[in-house]
Amino acid sequence: MNINLDVDVTEKENETTLHLKGEIDAYTAPLLKEKLLPLTAKQDHHIIVDLAEVSYMDSTGLGVFISALKSTKEHDAQLKLVNLQERVHRLFKITSLDTIITIETTVRGGN
Amino acid sequence: MDFKSCVNIRQEWDIVGARQLGREKAKELGFGTVDQARIATAISELARNIYLYAGTGKVRFEIVDQLDKKGLKIIAIDEGPGIRDVSQVMQDGYSTSGGLGAGLPGVKRLMDFFEIRTEWGEGTEIETIKWVR
Amino acid sequence: MESVALDLDNYRKLLKEYLLTHDETALYQAEQLSKLSVQHNVSPEEIIHVHIKALKELYPELPEEVNDSLNFLLEAMISYGLALQEYQHLREKQSALESEISVAANMQKTLLSTKKPEIPGLDIGAISVPANRMNGDYYHFIYDNDHTLGIALADVIGKGIPAALAMSMIKYSMDSFPEDLRQPSRILENLNRVVERNVDPSMFITMFYGLYNPKDQTFSYASAGHEPGFYYHKETDHYSEIEAKGLVLGATNNATYDQEVTQIEAGDCIILLTDGVTECHLGDRFIERDEVLDVIKRYMHLPAQEAVEHVYKHFERLQDFHLRDDFTLIIIRKDV
Repeated sequence: MNINLDVDVTEKENETTLHLKGEIDAYTAPLLKEKLLPLTAKQDHHIIVDLAEVSYMDSTGLGVFISALKSTKEHDAQLKLVNLQERVHRLFKITSLDTIITIETTVRGGN
Repeated sequence: MDFKSCVNIRQEWDIVGARQLGREKAKELGFGTVDQARIATAISELARNIYLYAGTGKVRFEIVDQLDKKGLKIIAIDEGPGIRDVSQVMQDGYSTSGGLGAGLPGVKRLMDFFEIRTEWGEGTEIETIKWVR
Repeated sequence: MESVALDLDNYRKLLKEYLLTHDETALYQAEQLSKLSVQHNVSPEEIIHVHIKALKELYPELPEEVNDSLNFLLEAMISYGLALQEYQHLREKQSALESEISVAANMQKTLLSTKKPEIPGLDIGAISVPANRMNGDYYHFIYDNDHTLGIALADVIGKGIPAALAMSMIKYSMDSFPEDLRQPSRILENLNRVVERNVDPSMFITMFYGLYNPKDQTFSYASAGHEPGFYYHKETDHYSEIEAKGLVLGATNNATYDQEVTQIEAGDCIILLTDGVTECHLGDRFIERDEVLDVIKRYMHLPAQEAVEHVYKHFERLQDFHLRDDFTLIIIRKDV
């Protein structure tokens, strides 16, 4: 099995959107961490992670989002996850991480 | 110091020059073909390290004549950035994994004596000896 | 790693024999020699060197070009000789690491060992199998003088050595709690603070803690984001999910946990598991929770220990005997 994760970054002023595609597991989580964590350390920055095309995520992926959340709190940045597939959303619900991480299941269309 | 026993390393081509001079010295001392090839490979590694990481430096050869044995001493000196973590570069697989060749552990294996002195920011001096068997 | 010199006479004899007879036997002996050479750290350039010498002895009139070309080959083999030495060195290092890990795994087994208590009126089965050498799942029974039974079940993110180290921390924190600290919600709140303070920000632990009180036959429990277990109601012959909401340990420093309580009737069962069970891969797809429950149901007529072992074997078989994640399953049945 050779499954990868693509991270597509769209930068706007004060806002960055990460479009993820693939699977987030122990092998791909370091890539996500590398892209996501520096953004969370930017003061007042807004980060949106679009998970529409993430079919699978394991606890390593959750760990990345937890450390990202902790870092946003230190730097007054904002983290939001959007478009979660059911299987991935369930993980956030079971772990109650949906109570501390902002999750939107539908994303508004383009402006 | 004999003028002809030192090669300056400035470009990749100089690696060949260092090998050639080293091999001549090795032959003179009576090293066999296998050891000649090993010495040449060690010189390549040392010279290539200078070329890649320090830019310029030199490789010097000395004949060591002791009571019970004779050998060839190779000294590689540069004034490049030095090595921050010597134990890391002396680890197997550190340089080979990057496809850079045998690396310093390889040189150590090819030769009989190996010593490295380096200071971060101040260059590196490697001294190594092979004894004639 | 002293290398042995290749026996020139023997090599020459073999070579001569082969050149005369083209006999397979000589080639077979060359193969043996090759194996022996690797074992004794004889590098390829040394073999070529011996070959050149033997050839010159057999053919004193050997053309200079052939001799030179063989020396060229010798030069080309030097890096292979180094690679062989490096490989052997790394292999020795690996076996040293292996034995260290196996010592650590044994230590972990001893440190985290828990005795399945024999409690009148309860039938308990428990199994926990690591995917690799060290287990990132952990379960523990605390059977007290007052006859209450505490059940802890935890799963550290990831697996292997880091997970095992975090687990030892959980175990020691629990051991250091005062004896009157029994309430599941309080235990999780305390552990959450320990984990939050002491582990990497991206590390977390899910945990379920339950307390069975035989006096009033109640089961109190709380969950820190742990995979929900199942509850079997004997009277209605119905399975339901054990509902408990709570944040994983280590995500924030002030998480609080709701504690639920349920009355246990004769024949009822509590089934606890880790996500190594529900994250079980079947080829390209995952097993759904309903399927997991179906498998568990299939073995529920057995005594609890036999049941958990059968369920484990079932999933092990499904995954071609290669677990992707640590696997833990506990079944507690109140006797009729």
